[in-house]
Amino acid sequence: MDALQINNISKRFGDFYAVKRLSLNIPEGTIYSLLGPNGAGKTTTIRMVMNIIIPDEGSILVLNEKMDDRLQSRVGYLPEDRGLYPKMRVGELLLFLAELKGIQRFEARKRIDGWLKKFDLTGWKQKKVEELSRGMQQKIQFIATVVHQPDLIILDEPFSGLDPVNTKLLKDIMLEMKSQGRTIIFSTHRMEQVEMISDNICLINKAEMVLEGNLTQIKKQYGKNTVVLDYEGDASFIRSFPEVEKIDDYGKFMEIKLKERSDPQDLLDKSVGKIRINKFEVREPTLNAIFIDKVGEPNAQDNIGH
Amino acid sequence: MRKIISVIKREYIQIVRTKGFIIGTILGPILMAALIVVPILVQFISVDKQEKIGVVDLSREVFMELDKKLDQKLKDGNRRYFLQKFEIKENVDQLLGELNKKVLAKELTAYIFIPENIAEGGIAEYISEHVSDFDKQGNIGQALSSIIIEKRLRGEGLNPEKIGQYMRPVRLDTKKVTTRGVERDAGGTFMISFSLVLILYMTVIFYGQIILRGVIEEKSSRVVEIVLSSLRPFQLMAGKILGIAAVGFTQYAIWALFGIAATRYSGNIVSRIFPAAANFPMPSIPTYIFIYFIIFFILGYFLYGTMYAGIGSMVNNEKEAQQLVMPVTMFLVIPIMLMMFVIRSPDSSVSVVLSLIPFFAPILMLLRISVLLPPFPQIAASIVLLILTTVLMIWISAKIYRVGILMYGKRPGFAEIVKWMRYG
Repeated sequence: MDALQINNISKRFGDFYAVKRLSLNIPEGTIYSLLGPNGAGKTTTIRMVMNIIIPDEGSILVLNEKMDDRLQSRVGYLPEDRGLYPKMRVGELLLFLAELKGIQRFEARKRIDGWLKKFDLTGWKQKKVEELSRGMQQKIQFIATVVHQPDLIILDEPFSGLDPVNTKLLKDIMLEMKSQGRTIIFSTHRMEQVEMISDNICLINKAEMVLEGNLTQIKKQYGKNTVVLDYEGDASFIRSFPEVEKIDDYGKFMEIKLKERSDPQDLLDKSVGKIRINKFEVREPTLNAIFIDKVGEPNAQDNIGH
Repeated sequence: MRKIISVIKREYIQIVRTKGFIIGTILGPILMAALIVVPILVQFISVDKQEKIGVVDLSREVFMELDKKLDQKLKDGNRRYFLQKFEIKENVDQLLGELNKKVLAKELTAYIFIPENIAEGGIAEYISEHVSDFDKQGNIGQALSSIIIEKRLRGEGLNPEKIGQYMRPVRLDTKKVTTRGVERDAGGTFMISFSLVLILYMTVIFYGQIILRGVIEEKSSRVVEIVLSSLRPFQLMAGKILGIAAVGFTQYAIWALFGIAATRYSGNIVSRIFPAAANFPMPSIPTYIFIYFIIFFILGYFLYGTMYAGIGSMVNNEKEAQQLVMPVTMFLVIPIMLMMFVIRSPDSSVSVVLSLIPFFAPILMLLRISVLLPPFPQIAASIVLLILTTVLMIWISAKIYRVGILMYGKRPGFAEIVKWMRYG
């Protein structure tokens, strides 16, 4: 069964298409990531799923039903533009948000205490939101998103602003929720997280879908024509090799896309002795490389937020 | 509905708990009481000092009588005014210059200049550092008038003994006719109704601003989209407006309790301090004025409250909001400016039309009701028009709110807002 079915939706603001004829099916119990540069239409798509914006065309089925008020309590949503009431105490704010999801006070209190403990925020329960750091606030927002144990969890840029420790914590919780049979959809710019946890991906650019499917299969389609080189020294000579189609050089680390039917072994032979090679790996392209290949220059993904 | 109640509860608790609310609720009645009590007290306190007043009497006929007439006593039995006569030594200007110096040196509170031709219409002058003590100026003016009028009457050959009788002032007793008959009214009833109108005006603006700030806070803190994943924008807007209305009613209830306590016990206190005031009838307000007050407050609150909510959703911060709020606030200020006109001619056709305009009705119709009860069809018409306009405003504001609350960045122009309203 699909947790989310999007059938041919479009949304226009004036003459500008925010989303154009997008169709998606997201299987239950999977982690699905929505990728794309800023302004590609990810947030608009998510807002249409959440029934905040109504699509001009097309239809959306959430958990096999049309989105309505009743369904809101089965969906957890962490928006990209997110914040909290600054003057409220953490505990009562979470209680309010849980009540809006239809959870009884008594039950809500128990769950909130559990979550605060998990995120190491128990001592902050009586503090006002404005006294919390941004990272802490983000954890509170996440608790509000999942406190009602939703079947479908939609996270718009959940990792932005989190430090590595909390990023790992959030990633672990997402995997735990997947193991409980919940479906998670999230959007991001950060490809490492996608590669680690996503089952399926969808790449949107300029309002249209450019790539969709199972992550492993997508990578297979691209084939093993990528070399990842971990090196020391001046490797600029590699650029002039005829086998090379494209290079992404990070100084000590290089991702090289080879032309079709060229042999990675030639590249290795010609490099030996000129630079110190710590690692030479032939593999599928990274998602980052696929992203850039599909969307174009990487400048679009640099700035987070609008 | 349960979700709206959760929002109402949140709004209510968050506001009622603030220091601003607690202070405002307690300070409100104290301030109002102070406005009434302080001037009375001040008058009693400031009077407790003898005042030295110089007199330059060029007519040479007024001083003695003025000294006799200005016989107000202080509490300790001394005269309130001590008059001192000044004679011209060189010329008038020199004397007046000297007296001006004495006033500035506080040797004299003031001096009075009486011209030679005072009986023929010459103008007397009162010269002091402070010319706003109307009570004192009134005393002196009255005394001078009666002296001069007596003098003129005597000049016409009237019997001096009868003059006092002729000059007895007419007493004007104000009464108010209502359906229950004629009642004695010392203006107190009107004053209280008038205060009700002002309270309505101030609270609608005050709570409208709270709604505005609340919506902007929700928007600028970016909490709104999280909340909207649980309920519809209309539920959030309705919950906010109703929750703040509940705050308003709490405040009114507390004030009403203060008021009841004050009218019940203040009579005793007042009559103990000023025995004379015991005869003064405690003003009573007909119940129907209270009922209309509550109706017009509720309708006015919802009409303006939804407009403030709609505006709050369009802007990014309070500074931007102030420009847009201006015209709305003007709708409340215009009837306040028209109040004096309506009081003077409450049943003129202009007043009738003005009080039917829904944006003015809460203030002007309530005012007309308290001045001179208009025919019921007029009241009913204004209430019906007000309800229709309020419903229309809720509809428009809800449409703007739904889109605006999630829009950040440039403040929308008029054309854009019209477009928002069409977004399905």
